[in-house]
Amino acid sequence: MKYGRREFINTLLGAGGIGGLASILYPVFQFLVPPEVTEPQVSSLKVGAVGDFPVNSSKIVRFGRVPVILIRSDRDTFKALAATCTHLDCIVQYNQARKQIICACHNGVYDLSGKNISGPPPKPLAVYSVSIVDDQVMITQEKDLA
Amino acid sequence: MKRTRIIKQYLLIFAGITLLGTANLLAESKVNTCLDCHVENDIMPGDFLEEDVHQHSEISCAGCHGGDPEAEDMDESMSADAGYIGIPSRQEMPAFCGKCHSKIEYMRVFQPRIPTDQVDQYYTSTHGKKLLSGDKKVAMCSSCHTSHGILPAKDTRSSVHPFNIPQTCNQCHGDADLMASTSHGTSQYEDYAGSVHGKALIERSDTGSPACNDCHGNHGAAPPGAESISHICGSCHLNNMEFFKTSVMGQLSESADYHSCEQCHGNHSISEPSDELLNVNESSLCLECHSDGDEGYVAAEAMYTQIRQTDSLYQAAIIRLKDIQIKGMNDVDIQYVLKDAKQNLIQLRTMVHTFDPVQVKEKAAEGKELSAEAISLAGLEISEFNQRRMGFGISTLAFVLLAFAVFLKIRQIDSNKKSD
Repeated sequence: MKYGRREFINTLLGAGGIGGLASILYPVFQFLVPPEVTEPQVSSLKVGAVGDFPVNSSKIVRFGRVPVILIRSDRDTFKALAATCTHLDCIVQYNQARKQIICACHNGVYDLSGKNISGPPPKPLAVYSVSIVDDQVMITQEKDLA
Repeated sequence: MKRTRIIKQYLLIFAGITLLGTANLLAESKVNTCLDCHVENDIMPGDFLEEDVHQHSEISCAGCHGGDPEAEDMDESMSADAGYIGIPSRQEMPAFCGKCHSKIEYMRVFQPRIPTDQVDQYYTSTHGKKLLSGDKKVAMCSSCHTSHGILPAKDTRSSVHPFNIPQTCNQCHGDADLMASTSHGTSQYEDYAGSVHGKALIERSDTGSPACNDCHGNHGAAPPGAESISHICGSCHLNNMEFFKTSVMGQLSESADYHSCEQCHGNHSISEPSDELLNVNESSLCLECHSDGDEGYVAAEAMYTQIRQTDSLYQAAIIRLKDIQIKGMNDVDIQYVLKDAKQNLIQLRTMVHTFDPVQVKEKAAEGKELSAEAISLAGLEISEFNQRRMGFGISTLAFVLLAFAVFLKIRQIDSNKKSD
């Protein structure tokens, strides 16, 4: 069968049409499928059920781009504080025995309200609000931090 | 014997001033003929400030200087009978201020938590001891606090606010004439101002950085002894002190009477620490004591190599991070990993004070792993970016082809119509 000018144009039209359609549909499809990463700009975050956090324990959670330390110091008390030390940005840890927040880099110490009480940290840790909604622990950025 | 007599004399002066001062304080009233007369005749003290802490607490001139502030007649108000003390000598000054400041019953009315041991502390200081021995040039209360413009130490205008303390001390310690009889020299302020601590406090107003009094003490100011240096530095640099205390170097430092931290870092002119201090070349501190091939030399070289390798990998990861930020790709995960890598690097550099290459190597391995993970994550993002760019190129080509095909088809249809 002779492959003439007409067939060539039809093939070109078909290929271009399919390519063009795919170029439109692919981004639409990508938009409809949820992204794998968490949206960085968050103002509130659900971190799990109350039972997931044993008494006198802590967990570092990702609050968008900021690490936040959630501490359950006793049965009814949850605290959420910025987990970045105000001295040189190291990640702080909860010391269960002392019930204090410690920075391992230079031994900075904060109390459970985030106040810097010993060592080199110049400022307190930023405080986040914690609320329990339907047995789920929610961390919310306070307005003055936004 | 002479010393005992001098101490007895001071105790008598102190007791006398206390009695007179208390009597005057009790007789405090709003009428102040001292101020009226001194203002009228323009003979106010040069450093007088309306906001002076004593003025604020309604302690009048007579509260310190004695006399009768209600008497209209100058001779009467400034008579010995009225308890007038006048201007105290430098030797009398600690007792003069201490008549109130050493009495908790009196001071707690103004500040419940105020310390009242300043005079006791002062006489343990180098300044106080010299004053007792008859040195008339040495600093006493008003040398640092001023006389009539005393502001609370929290007030940034106060001569004893952390921002101003280096300059306050430098008034005397930078004066070559005053320091001529000592072995101190006069470069402390210049040394401090150029140091890592001085730059933080003076240039960046970081009150977390120590001023003179944080290491030397306030009223009990004295040069730190060799045995107290690591404790003083360790009050802020806790991990460094802990590592150092348990290290071979720390134990040697105690037995060989080295000046611990000061031995390597100096005192007033402490520079920002650099990895190069460990390097085994001209910049090395270690080579001041160690020489090529000995145990210390090998340890320094090993620790330096580990730190540089870890830092290089971290810097490479930072470059990748910036690259993906420029490309507009997701950098959240990489930032989290790099936070840990940065933390590791800080801890690694602190760990140098263990002087143990094995511990340093273990810590460095963790840091290298974190930076490698960040580089790998960045690689995935860059590959995703390239994939998107290629997809964009292909779709552009498809649209161009489509447009060209449509153009040709239209021409074909037109040509068919004409031939029909």
